[in-house]
Amino acid sequence: MRPRRHVPALLGSALALAAAVHLALLATEPAAEPPLRVLATLPDLWSITRAIVGDLGRVEVATRPGQNPHDLEIRPSQILLVKRAEILVRNGLEEDAWIDPVVESSGNPRLLRGSASVIEAAQGLELLKIPSGRVDRSAGDVHPSGNPHFTLDPGTMPTVSASIAQGLARLRPDLGPRLEANRREFLMRVEARFQRWREMLAPYRGARVVSYHDSWPYFYRAYGLVELGVIEDRPGVPPTPQHLVSLVRQMKERGARIVVLESWYPPDTAAAVARLAGAKLVVIPQSPGAVRGTDDYIAHMEHVVTALAKALAEP
Amino acid sequence: MRMHTAHLWPLPILLLSLGSYLPGSAQAQDVDAVRQELGAVRRQLDSIREQYEKRLRELTERLEQLETQRQAATPAAVPAPSGAPPSPGQAVPLAAAATASPAGEPSLREMLAPRQPFALAQPGRTLLFDIGVGGDFVADFTSRTRERRRDGTFAGRENRMFPREVELGLFGRVDPYASAVVRLSAGEEAAGLEPSDRSVNVAVDEANLTLLALPLGTTARLGVMRPRFGTLNVVHQDDLPQIDRPNVLSRFFGEEQLDGEKGVEAFWVLPLPVYNELSLGAFDGDNEVAFGRGTLRDPLVIGRWRTFVELEEHGGLQIDLSAASGIAADAHRNTVLGLGAKYKWAAPGSGFPLFTVAGEALYAMRTVTTEGDDTAPPRERRLDRWGGYLYGQWDFNRRWAAGLRGDWTELAVERGREWAVSPYLQFKPSEFLRFRVQYKHSEGTGAVERVANEIFLQGTFILGAHPTERF
Repeated sequence: MRPRRHVPALLGSALALAAAVHLALLATEPAAEPPLRVLATLPDLWSITRAIVGDLGRVEVATRPGQNPHDLEIRPSQILLVKRAEILVRNGLEEDAWIDPVVESSGNPRLLRGSASVIEAAQGLELLKIPSGRVDRSAGDVHPSGNPHFTLDPGTMPTVSASIAQGLARLRPDLGPRLEANRREFLMRVEARFQRWREMLAPYRGARVVSYHDSWPYFYRAYGLVELGVIEDRPGVPPTPQHLVSLVRQMKERGARIVVLESWYPPDTAAAVARLAGAKLVVIPQSPGAVRGTDDYIAHMEHVVTALAKALAEP
Repeated sequence: MRMHTAHLWPLPILLLSLGSYLPGSAQAQDVDAVRQELGAVRRQLDSIREQYEKRLRELTERLEQLETQRQAATPAAVPAPSGAPPSPGQAVPLAAAATASPAGEPSLREMLAPRQPFALAQPGRTLLFDIGVGGDFVADFTSRTRERRRDGTFAGRENRMFPREVELGLFGRVDPYASAVVRLSAGEEAAGLEPSDRSVNVAVDEANLTLLALPLGTTARLGVMRPRFGTLNVVHQDDLPQIDRPNVLSRFFGEEQLDGEKGVEAFWVLPLPVYNELSLGAFDGDNEVAFGRGTLRDPLVIGRWRTFVELEEHGGLQIDLSAASGIAADAHRNTVLGLGAKYKWAAPGSGFPLFTVAGEALYAMRTVTTEGDDTAPPRERRLDRWGGYLYGQWDFNRRWAAGLRGDWTELAVERGREWAVSPYLQFKPSEFLRFRVQYKHSEGTGAVERVANEIFLQGTFILGAHPTERF
């Protein structure tokens, strides 16, 4: 039997399979679209935006919870999310620069960078770790505009939530007062918890900690922790043995108590550094939703602070 | 003696000098003078400090006035955040901070003002477009026979290390409604029949403008481009999953694939719950193997339908169907159909291990003219040829991956077929650097009668900007 006789049958089968999948998914699609259709690039922005939007619309997220945004590849499903959205909330630094080609492939020009429908959450913040001097890849995959992990400091929430609420209200002035009310309610809840989190970590102010990736400077600033060093000293590039030896020596000399590892990185190197330095390894998710029950910004921060306080409390 | 007296004459001078350092009434006078001078300096410093503090108070008051004016001008419905985050451990009334506001938005006048298409630098020394340089170096080790016959995978470059492609890419936004990309590449190619006949050719791989804000959600590209056909045709040389292109693509379209086609292409993402993309393009048809007519009077027309099903924790599946129809160099029509599929599964959390399985099948229908002889005149007949590949790749972690590819294809025009199997290993020290080693065993019949064993080594690097990896 000649194989080419199978070609029309194969093509037909593929089309039939695709049509069946589409019909099945069409049947599960909700009938009516909510008034606001917002897409957030990252889970932290998604959780904050969701708190502000409340029941005024639907907020979707382009990345899965617990997914490392540094290793992200573009999936066609993200193009579809962009196609559906009317407002895009993005980090504003290089953390989610991958969204630009996604938007350009979506046929939704409203969400092109620079348009009024794009909200940049970093706007108005005092950024940390903006590299100075010569910036090139010899320093790894650096963020030339500054460290983008600002949402880990609850103290940035007034500015971040204002940028988001203002951007949403600019496009939908009719929803402005309700968005602002949601935002104030969100800030009050964050404020109450932030006080409690500060109290939980207050006994450890000045404690020296080491991170695997440079994700935590805003968090350390918020709670007075001191970053002794970063294992991945050049972002995206595995650390050299010389750097690890030097870091372990510093940790021993200066009494670093814990190593913080983001849950999406392999634990081997961080565990070895912690063991050699006599410190504890704390594996915590960097973004909401990676652990069951932490979809909400406050629940996520509660999880992070509790895990850290518990590790620091152990002798 | 006289000599000794002469040597002693500096002694009184030395004693006088030492005397000036000894305590005495003259020294006490000097100390008083120094004290007076110190007092004068202290008074001057106090005066400077008072002036400085006064100036600081003035500036602070001025700043407060400006902030008050700005807050008064801010609409009540638009909340305004605090400018700076709190200092470590400082208790911040977050709800109270809800009355402050982020940096000012551009005015309507600023937004309407025409923009420069590009500039080399802004005051912040930021380029308004991206520049990237990619290098792709390959070494091909094989037998002397393959080298002599020049019928290895990289014909004419057997047992050599060569720059397959060094690429300069410029890409960015032209204005709010369009983006553009220009890619120039240079690579070593076999130029003639002699072993030393090689040249480094520079080509414009891509130079196209993408219109982003057309009606009905249309996006259109025009210029020189890689048309949307199949799964791997749109992938650049240095981003291929293996070192060489699968045999079926090389046999049907030549080593360069459907690259550098000139024309226009439009695509749409359909407003459906599942990702569906349609594209349609018309091109000159410059591919020397499949469509060599090279004129828009007989355009090469390419269409593709691509769908993607997100299976969440079970991965993602992409399927594409393509068709390309044009006139070959011998003035006969050639139509190529393509069916591709790609499935990826990634472990939750770190995204590794990552498992990929993908394949593509091409089916070509072309008309050829057979050579006539004494008994039969030349006549036209249809040739149906097909081929495909399938590969699986296992990314153990961010750095290491291994895979296996199988090829089976008929030749596009001549009689013959070949199959190949290629295991490979990949190491990526960073996102910008990659090394691969691949073994390829090929066996062919007919016009490609041979058994070939080859080992390829590859090193690729990226300098500067690079596009994000796609599914």
